Amino acid sequence: MARAGRIYLGLVLVFLYAPIAVMAVMSLNDSQFYALPIKWSLRWYADLAGNQRLIDAGVNSIVVAVITTVIASVLGTAAALAFFRYKFRGKRLLQVLLFPPIAIPWLITGTAMLLFFFWTGIGRGLHAMVLGHVALALPYVIIVVSARLQAFDPDLEAAARSLGAGPWQVVRYVTLPFLAPGVIAAALFAFAVSFDQFVISYFLAVPGVSTLPVEIYTSIRKGFTPEINAISTIVIVASMALLVGVSRFYRFGGDR
Amino acid sequence: MKHHLIAAGAALAIFALGAGTGTADTIRVLNWQGYGTDESWALEAFEEKTGHKVEHEYFNSEQEMLTKLRTNPGAYDVVLINSAFTPTAAKEGLIQPIDTAKIPNVADLTPEMRNNPNLVIGGKTYGVAWVWGATSFAINTEKFDAAPDTIEVLWSEAMADRIGWRDDAVEAVQITAIALGQDINNPSDLDAIREKLRALKPQIRTFWTSENDWNQFMSAGEFDAAIYWSGSASRSATNFGLPVEFVVPKEGAIGWLDGLSVPTDAPNVDAAYEFINWMIDPEFYVKWDTDVGAPASANAKAMAGLPDDAFNRAVLGNPEVASRLKFMGPIEDDMREKMLELWQETKTYFQN
Amino acid sequence: MAASNTALGGAVRTGSSARAIAVLTGPAYLWLTVTVLLPLLAMFYFSFLTEAPIAGRVGELTLEQYRTFLERGFYTTLILRSLKLGATVAFFCFLIGFPCAYILAKTIKGRWREALFLLVIIPFWSNALVRVFSWTMVLRGNGLLERAIDWVVPGAGSLGLMFTYSAVVIGLVHSYLPYMILTCYISLQAIDDDLIEAARSLGAGRITILRRLILPLALPGIVAGAVLIFVPVIGSFMEPRILGGRQGTFIGTIIEDQFTAVFNWPLGAALSFILLACVLVIFAMFAPVLKRAM
Repeated sequence: MARAGRIYLGLVLVFLYAPIAVMAVMSLNDSQFYALPIKWSLRWYADLAGNQRLIDAGVNSIVVAVITTVIASVLGTAAALAFFRYKFRGKRLLQVLLFPPIAIPWLITGTAMLLFFFWTGIGRGLHAMVLGHVALALPYVIIVVSARLQAFDPDLEAAARSLGAGPWQVVRYVTLPFLAPGVIAAALFAFAVSFDQFVISYFLAVPGVSTLPVEIYTSIRKGFTPEINAISTIVIVASMALLVGVSRFYRFGGDR
Repeated sequence: MKHHLIAAGAALAIFALGAGTGTADTIRVLNWQGYGTDESWALEAFEEKTGHKVEHEYFNSEQEMLTKLRTNPGAYDVVLINSAFTPTAAKEGLIQPIDTAKIPNVADLTPEMRNNPNLVIGGKTYGVAWVWGATSFAINTEKFDAAPDTIEVLWSEAMADRIGWRDDAVEAVQITAIALGQDINNPSDLDAIREKLRALKPQIRTFWTSENDWNQFMSAGEFDAAIYWSGSASRSATNFGLPVEFVVPKEGAIGWLDGLSVPTDAPNVDAAYEFINWMIDPEFYVKWDTDVGAPASANAKAMAGLPDDAFNRAVLGNPEVASRLKFMGPIEDDMREKMLELWQETKTYFQN
Repeated sequence: MAASNTALGGAVRTGSSARAIAVLTGPAYLWLTVTVLLPLLAMFYFSFLTEAPIAGRVGELTLEQYRTFLERGFYTTLILRSLKLGATVAFFCFLIGFPCAYILAKTIKGRWREALFLLVIIPFWSNALVRVFSWTMVLRGNGLLERAIDWVVPGAGSLGLMFTYSAVVIGLVHSYLPYMILTCYISLQAIDDDLIEAARSLGAGRITILRRLILPLALPGIVAGAVLIFVPVIGSFMEPRILGGRQGTFIGTIIEDQFTAVFNWPLGAALSFILLACVLVIFAMFAPVLKRAM
């Protein structure tokens, strides 16, 4: 039975990774039209180095994702703390109001932002994308941090206080260190949400300024070169390395 | 003392040289992908001559081009507009009148094209006639013994699930209008067109939206015949080596004339003029058609530079073929909306 | 003493706590108001105009856009088609992902579990677009899948998968599967093994344990996953365009068209709100299930 389970898991992983493997292999194929059989070549990686457009898009993606992560983590953690610490009228309502960004299809949120930002002169571009991405990431951050807070033992804080610690010291030396893994997980989530976000970025891009997913979509729709495969392979290898690195400090699988 | 004079003279000379070339700008061009303005050898030659760099943005339909102009004022310097759409763009204030005195090669353009009433409005030139060609269908020569001569082949049973079609409302309706013998710019019987389009359900395997799509699908064997443009078919055969042939059937084909325009609020108007001048230059055109594959040029001198058996001279230049072309013209707003709705409805009908 | 020092979930304090709440939650909600609420209100306003009041145009108030929706049956067809797609994708993600999460949470222990969990999460970071495009290489006529099958069973013929509704479903399931695995995993992991042991020792069979113990306890995760998948999928246009071919028309692609090509923003706005209304109606219908899951 356990054997069957492992085989099933293996099959699912094959399903998940098949396109990624195809993408990596095709990035090493010389043909422009993905013709088989494969002729091995590093040509697309070399071309990528000269493709300023793609590189700019990649850099923009990272910049937007980093800024989004910082803002969303700070705002989200603060809100999660408030929900956890205090009971107040309207708390339920506020919690429900977190759902719209998740409950509304990105298409609708994205086109609404396009419409509103263009009409009011806020404009589109990287700053608009940050506005949009943070809005999308906030609910996730709050949910993840709240989940971590649920496991917090209130006696720890009581103990600290009885030893004479002031409220800020309690927060700094007891609460926040406990929160840290939760905040890191939430930050990673926010980063992923922003870096891979396509729909919102698509509607908020302007000529000359776009992010990697938007640039890739434009290439697929208008004129594709396999350099796209090259940069995507690089991204996934980099994120694998990042995740493995972070997992040394945070047990993703849970504490058991 | 003499040293100072020489030094000053040298400095002045260097200064003059620098001033002579002017400031180097980066211009942004809005066009179809792979449609001449982004040929790398052409851009390199342009940068060498003028020092200006060129960046591109692309669109997949005339509708998208207009929306990009409307929502990004001041972002583009040169835009390619199908002459049938130039009056709309001019009326909306999206493009500005062009000072043709600053574009020397305009003098060599074929007069009927240079003064096309869609490009010259109220005595002002809003678009410089660039290239013209036909929209019809192209076939995979390896799948046909002889090139078909009728557009009905797209509807034939032998071609079930082997046809490629372009996801564009106006083009879809106009091709069907040709098959039914109606006026492409003002079809008289939209219901008949609706029925004829629906008959395509078993025929169409997939839609294509860019030349790149078309080439990929053709080389993967997804379709044997597909709606296409004459210049693009030429490019598929010449530049990409695909077994492609363009067909102008007896019922006729859609004719179009593309022009290069300058958007209102373009940041680099003079550099834009220099670029347009280069694009209509025979030196650029002959190399473009011979090495890569292109539509026919509006510049008579450029056409004369082509070899006699080139497609653009032998086929499109043939008066009999040219007479079968039905040229696109401006379409009334409510007719366009009807076409859009008809196509959306048809696409929904195509779903299983 | 106890009531006031364990502030966590404890007594209500006025004054300073109200300010603290405002300071802590204010920024986040202000952000959401400006970036989500106001744009949606603006779009709602636009849906009642004849033309988008930008680029020098003037719009007048009208019900024309909504009337167009009611008069043209094909819009309703498309909305239903998109809702069906959302449900189908969520269902298959559950079918494939739930057993996967269960195996990961319950039968695998130690370092393997963490490594496998990471492996499941990593596709999140690969670019969704390239994954979808890679599927075209796998699914197309004479693509990798057909070649592989041909190699195993020569002369098997064409699968005809590319440019079909199925291809779109496959691409979407592949993109959104990690969400379901993740949410189910979190729920399943919280189920105490002792509970299952106790049930087994009382004589319950596997199916009974699954039906009456595990599924109900894992319901929050399943529901969360379903919501996280259903909502984006009904508005998707990227996967249908790339994988769907002639079969790739959904309400998402039509709405996207309105904004980027056709330039009929009011119609796009109206269609968006009608779609949103459908989503809310569905949530309302499933409210009892959702409430239990919270």
